[in-house]
This record gives sequence, C-alpha cells and structure tokens, in this order.
Amino acid sequence: MLHLLGVNLPDRKLVSTALQYFYGIGPTSSSKICDQLSIHKQCKLAELSEAQINSLSNVLANMNIETDLKREVRDHVMHHRSINTYAGRRHAMSLPVRGQRTRNNAKTAKKLNGRWVQRRMFSSLSTESFPSVQSPLERFFNTKFF
Amino acid sequence: MPRAAWKGPFFVAFPGLRQAIQNGTPIATQARSCTILPSFVGLKFLVHNGKDYIPINVTEEMIGHKLGEFASTRKRFSYRFTKAK
Repeated sequence: MLHLLGVNLPDRKLVSTALQYFYGIGPTSSSKICDQLSIHKQCKLAELSEAQINSLSNVLANMNIETDLKREVRDHVMHHRSINTYAGRRHAMSLPVRGQRTRNNAKTAKKLNGRWVQRRMFSSLSTESFPSVQSPLERFFNTKFF
Repeated sequence: MPRAAWKGPFFVAFPGLRQAIQNGTPIATQARSCTILPSFVGLKFLVHNGKDYIPINVTEEMIGHKLGEFASTRKRFSYRFTKAK
C-alpha cells in the first residue's frame, strides 16, 4: 500500500486506476496526470520509482482534490442555502435541484442532497476537531488583529 | 453551457432605480429572468411567482443570481381531508 496525501492506494493496480481512489479524480484527469508525468498505460503503482512518486505527489498537492474539493462543493451549496434560492431549498429538502422528476425515482438526490445542509447544525462542533477549518468568529478575530 | 461572455448579463432596466433605493419603495416586476446587478443591492423587489408578488430584499451575496430564484413558484403540499363526492 502506498500512502499519498492521506489516501491509501492499492499497489497492484494500474496507476491510472489507482489515482481514481482520490475524491475528485476520474478517468479523464487520471490519464492526464499519467500523460503529464510520462507514465505508460500498463504501469502499476508498485513499479513506480521514488522520483516518479515524488513528482506524482507534487502534481496531486497542487490539485483541488479530497477535502479542499469537498469543502468547495459544500460552500457552494451553503451559499445557495444562505440566500434562500430555489436550488438551496431543494438541497435542504433533499430533492433534485435541476428540475428532474420526483413522482418516482430521484433516488440519488434523496440519498445525497441535503447532507451538506444538515451538517450546518454540527458545524460549530466539527470546527474544533478540524483546526484548518476556520469558523466565522475565528476569521473575524484574525482579520482584526493582523 | 453558460451564457456567452460577450453578451454580458441579461437584465431589465427598471425606471427610477435610484429613487427606489433611497425611498425603500419596492419594485413590482414580472421579469424573473433579470440578473441581479451590483446596482440593485439594497433594493426591495416584489417578484411575481405566477400568482402573487413575493417580497425580496437584495443583499450583496445575491449578485449574479436571477430574481426568479428567490420567488418560489411551487406550493407546498398540504393534505386536506375532503369528503369524496
């Protein structure tokens, strides 16, 4: 197992497949990364040299993936919710946002939508456990003193 | 696909915009597709939802959204017991 940026990658998979274990990297961007680092298509993760792994982690560190991306998505949803748009309301009701039918189906939206909004109640608790996430009060103090 | 940048945002020119900001009088409109411009901040709108005019106070965060996004056109379902006839 290779541990990169807080994600465990399987050794015996192809590099382009293993990269998709990251949240925010799909087939397209993983193949782009492989092209950029000139890793051939049949190369497995165990066959990478130390220098290649270093350059790979450099590329990944500059990308908007994992927690950064999750926070960005959540911020977008919370923006809609805080100004009370139709999209924000649909998220809060955990229903489809973009006009899909709700008479039946809509399973993905019912499963996924609203989880960002519901977490707002616990946001004051969760900020303590994640020091990187600044609460509005902290941000206010930082701007005031510096 | 987003709107082409060279067109600029779609908006409707409201007459007496400055007066409305100063007096705080709401502007009744049916132009739900009008983009909220930075000059609209502080305005009060009455946006048509197909039946009524819904009051909206424009804040800074709303810039770039459409007026219609803030006036819901759907009625919340409420069960009413009626005798079958």
